[in-house]
Amino acid sequence: MSKVGVSHASWDTYRDIEISFKVNGKEVKVKVKPYERLIDVLRNKLGLVSVKGGCGRGECGACVVIMNGKLIPTCLTLAVRADGSEVLTLEGIAPEGKLHAIQKALLDTYAMQCGFCFPGVIMTSKYLLDKNPNPSEDEIKEVLDGNLCRCGSYLRFVKAVKLASKYINEGKIFFDESEVMR
Amino acid sequence: MFRFDVYIPRDLRDALEALRIYGEEMLPIGGGTDLLVLYRQGLVKFKTLLDLWPLRSNLSYVKLEGGLVRLGALTTVEELESSELLKDKRFAGLKDACRTFATTFIRSLATVGGNVGVAHPLSDIAITLLTYDASVRLRSLDGERVIPLKNFYLDKRKTVKKPEELITEVFFSEPPNNASSVFAKLDRRVGHGMGYVAVGVYAELDNRLVKEVRIAFDSIGRPFPERALRTEDSLRGKELSEDNINRAIYEVLPKEMSRINDYRASAEYRIYLSQVLLKRALLEVGRRIGGE
Amino acid sequence: MSSVSEYYKIVEEVFEKYKDKEFLFVGRHSQRWDSVEKIKGKALYTADFARLYSKLVYVHSVRTKYAHALVKSIDTSEASKYPGVLKVITAKDIPGINDVGYVIPDQPLIADRKVRYVGDIVALVVAEDPLVAREAEELISVEYEPLPVITNPLDVVDLMTLKEKPHVLIHDERGSDILVHYKIRRGDIQKAMREADVKVEGVYKTPFQEHAYMEPEASIAIPEPDGSITVITSTQCPFDVRRAVAKVLGLTLNKVRIVVPAVGGGFGGKEDVANETAAKAALAAVLTDRPALAVHTREESIIGHSKRHPAIAWYRHAAKRDGTLLAVEANVVMDGGAYASLGPFVPWRATVHATGPYKVQSARVDVVRVYTNNVYAGAFRGFGNPQVIFAVERQIDLLAEELGMDPVELRLKNILRVGDETVHGQKLTEEHGVGLEEAVMKAVEASRWFELRREYAEIKGPVRKGIGIALFYHGNSIGVEGADYSSVTLIINRDGSISIRTGLTEFGQGAVWGLALIAAEILGVPPSYFKIENTDTSATPDAGPTVASRTTVMGGAATVVAAYKLRRRLNEVASHILGCDPDEVVIRAPEVYCSSDPSRKTKWVDVIEQSFWLGVPLQEFGYYRAPRASWDEETGQGAPYITYTFGAIVADVEVDIETGLVKVNKIYTAYDIGKVINRIGAELNAEGGAIQALGYALMEELIHDKDGRVSNPNLSTYYIPTIKDTPEIIPIWVEAKYRKGPLGAKGFGEPSFNAVAAAIANAVAHALRVNVTELPITPERVYMMLKSKQRY
Repeated sequence: MSKVGVSHASWDTYRDIEISFKVNGKEVKVKVKPYERLIDVLRNKLGLVSVKGGCGRGECGACVVIMNGKLIPTCLTLAVRADGSEVLTLEGIAPEGKLHAIQKALLDTYAMQCGFCFPGVIMTSKYLLDKNPNPSEDEIKEVLDGNLCRCGSYLRFVKAVKLASKYINEGKIFFDESEVMR
Repeated sequence: MFRFDVYIPRDLRDALEALRIYGEEMLPIGGGTDLLVLYRQGLVKFKTLLDLWPLRSNLSYVKLEGGLVRLGALTTVEELESSELLKDKRFAGLKDACRTFATTFIRSLATVGGNVGVAHPLSDIAITLLTYDASVRLRSLDGERVIPLKNFYLDKRKTVKKPEELITEVFFSEPPNNASSVFAKLDRRVGHGMGYVAVGVYAELDNRLVKEVRIAFDSIGRPFPERALRTEDSLRGKELSEDNINRAIYEVLPKEMSRINDYRASAEYRIYLSQVLLKRALLEVGRRIGGE
Repeated sequence: MSSVSEYYKIVEEVFEKYKDKEFLFVGRHSQRWDSVEKIKGKALYTADFARLYSKLVYVHSVRTKYAHALVKSIDTSEASKYPGVLKVITAKDIPGINDVGYVIPDQPLIADRKVRYVGDIVALVVAEDPLVAREAEELISVEYEPLPVITNPLDVVDLMTLKEKPHVLIHDERGSDILVHYKIRRGDIQKAMREADVKVEGVYKTPFQEHAYMEPEASIAIPEPDGSITVITSTQCPFDVRRAVAKVLGLTLNKVRIVVPAVGGGFGGKEDVANETAAKAALAAVLTDRPALAVHTREESIIGHSKRHPAIAWYRHAAKRDGTLLAVEANVVMDGGAYASLGPFVPWRATVHATGPYKVQSARVDVVRVYTNNVYAGAFRGFGNPQVIFAVERQIDLLAEELGMDPVELRLKNILRVGDETVHGQKLTEEHGVGLEEAVMKAVEASRWFELRREYAEIKGPVRKGIGIALFYHGNSIGVEGADYSSVTLIINRDGSISIRTGLTEFGQGAVWGLALIAAEILGVPPSYFKIENTDTSATPDAGPTVASRTTVMGGAATVVAAYKLRRRLNEVASHILGCDPDEVVIRAPEVYCSSDPSRKTKWVDVIEQSFWLGVPLQEFGYYRAPRASWDEETGQGAPYITYTFGAIVADVEVDIETGLVKVNKIYTAYDIGKVINRIGAELNAEGGAIQALGYALMEELIHDKDGRVSNPNLSTYYIPTIKDTPEIIPIWVEAKYRKGPLGAKGFGEPSFNAVAAAIANAVAHALRVNVTELPITPERVYMMLKSKQRY
């Protein structure tokens, strides 16, 4: 009889692949399994838990990050594909102690509810603002169409992206964290 | 097995060699937006994935050359949508299909080749490409085959492509200046959806006269995208008038279309909606060609 | 003085003291305590803790192949030997009682004798890698004896007689598949029907609705050295989860600790499913002596947790020619799916509200809830009320049409006002706060009702427009369902910062922030001084379940009690420092001064420091139990709830009559929630509830095939509204204060959902001149309605 709490030996028969990539500006090297998804590596091996697992099927937008300038669902991305890439997650969008304009704008519009979709919403909004600093209401809705929010903060997302656009156009990209609590 | 290995090829030849060696135990993965969902549900089994992403340096492009529009199989929907080519009204239907294709983050992974290769009714790019009478270029170690897209599908999730072949390109003849296209679908929400039905229309008009028209649906009976050839015939050479359109959609289309009942919609509604969307698409393509 | 009357006295005293005051914090916009950590992605939700445990094991649920079958045998020997598998758990491995039922013990954690729906679990595979566990699942063989599958509740009971039909029982151990039957009997219904000038009748259907909170269920269990167990889990009701885990493991309650970190949405769905996930993780942790994670995939979440009850409702309304409602008759069958869940309570709330917020002289209402082999139904924002509101509000519109009256005028003729009796014979007084008429008037005015009602009726062409109204009332808290208590501990720390501890759980809408605002107001300390501790059964007091919109009204009352007592003590201390009367002490942290002489002042932190050295306790426990509700089982007469929230919704829609697609342009939500405490929370509820209800109205329905399998178990096939579906939402507040509530507040979480779908349905009916009898109003249903054009 096998001892409880100890698995049968040698289940871990798949090879490790070492990948190196830049995450939030830092070079990392990490061993991954061929079948591992990027979401699991970011969360479990690199501790970037802002990347949320909502559906595992690319249907909710909670796990999106910006990889090489593209918005991608990390639940449908094999970890090996990150090799040589640059990945940006919510943890990396503002320097320590600062908030990005879109984060500030989401607080200003009091959009926060459960917050589970927020990392995805913020990354999608940043992706949009990077490409188009002056998005129209329709463009905002078009790009955020895939980010599901069941608490229903949608109207505030639209307002926040517009407000962030205004901040960015005024040259205000980062805000001190201490300024935001009122 | 839910664990698998991944083969990362150096180049196309390396990839094709791997496919030959591993045979049916290996599946190629492009964007993965379809395959990884099927895998998760336990609906596909494989031992190794062949990662096609390294081949994107050669197989991701949108070109117009020598009278041919050529789309690299690994071009993402996002790349296609933002290409120079799609600013041209002759490709307006492709633009529609890209714009309404899933979500921002799926468009950045899903590829043209993948959409064509899944052989599933819900493949909007493939539906639109059918209206351009596109062809699929397949490569294997034995060389190259070109298959017209209209002959490419055998059944749901079944194509003429052999396991050792890869789709490398989809191409079609450059449309004349008096051409344009439309893609339309409709579902129960305003936000993104699969579409109860989806329709693509391509037309060339001389004044109001239909010189050429091609119509494709997500399904006209069999479970993959197909052209509505009889409906096309009924319009070819005629004026694109409301009367002729009505005749086509009410008298001809129902004769060649059958639809399924499932949890999403009844066959009756699907046929009805196919008629409504086709009518709208035909009127819209006329407006687009007319420069409205 | 008995302590029971003490807390009522305090809450009423505080209400009187503040009722005409300008508030500093209550009712104003404020940034909730957790918004910065969440905006930075630092907030930890249950599954985020997994990486902290290096010896973590994964718990994979092996679910049944059949929706209804006897389990003859199960062989796990091959799977147990699979490399990487630590343990395969079946029902016989459970040390305690194999049950996770929320209200009644009808739901095994792991099926032993039979399976009753597709989410039932037959074994758990515990492995070091979740994929290994899935691989091992394929090696488990289960021998089933399939039984007939019932997916239609009308195969269990007849809608008109409500008699049980012969069928193979799903819960044979109970001897009947009718779980509950509630009634209202008032007046002489036969006489009223005979005397009526007009009658309208119809059958109304509403679907299964999925909560689709963005965070799927998750639990991590950690075995402790003393044989106890800690479970981190995503739940609304940690004290109920503790009970379930203790029961399954055979432990005493003090050996089970439930910790609730950030929760990614609940909406009622996380009331009872955590009983299951926590018990699964705990069982695996105990049997392997390692930390164990049970996290549901989205598909498991959809097939494996409770849903909104579908209802089939037959209604008959009778009225006089002048529009006076005479009688309502109703038979309602609610599909409860395979297990009871909150099923003993949901139909009761449906029954109480079954005639809507109207004066009804005679009524006969029968509501039954039956078992089927569908996914089980339980709590979901609204809790049985939206189903009957849809039926009632469609009926009222039909009646208006029949009488040639405007729907608003007909409603105004019959709505509940101060001095009226509800259908249960409960007299509504000034004390309850009854702001329905004001809500109707404000919604009508803001939406330009009378103008658009006429204007839209004239529209021709492919796109039609419609405007519709629906009203509701919603009993506050849990009424006679159970012990309706709440508790809060306020702790002032040495630096003047304040911790709030309560068993009421924050699961997204920020309701507990209202407690901080109440405490801030009473203590005179800004909300930024407050932190709300995560709920932890070993640290926070049991405050009852976080359900039934009870956080603000019940938790708020407990907070009033605690804050008031603290404030009285602090005033004493400050009066010694300042040399003025305790009643003259003004706290405006960081300053404290005398009202008679503001130059006599000190610092908040100094008052706290003084209190510390003087031995004045800086913690206070507040407890509140709602006044007793009453209910006669045979007649439905009594006073079922302490008070009611009221609302009027107007929806402005357009319909593409060629495709059938409905688009909502505007929703006006006028709510009487008493005193608005947490304004941002109220606004977010008004918006979020409306969007969820828009989904309910237009797109959402979980579908079972004839074998009981779910046809749309993921977010690409089960549609919820996206940002593009979201209309303009115009919130309007009416503050008819409930004087026994905290500062006059009433509950709001659930009411934000209640009448929106009914208003949309009425607007579609207006746009198309058709009778809408079924939700959701999909393009195909619109097509079918137009095709048959059932003109009413």
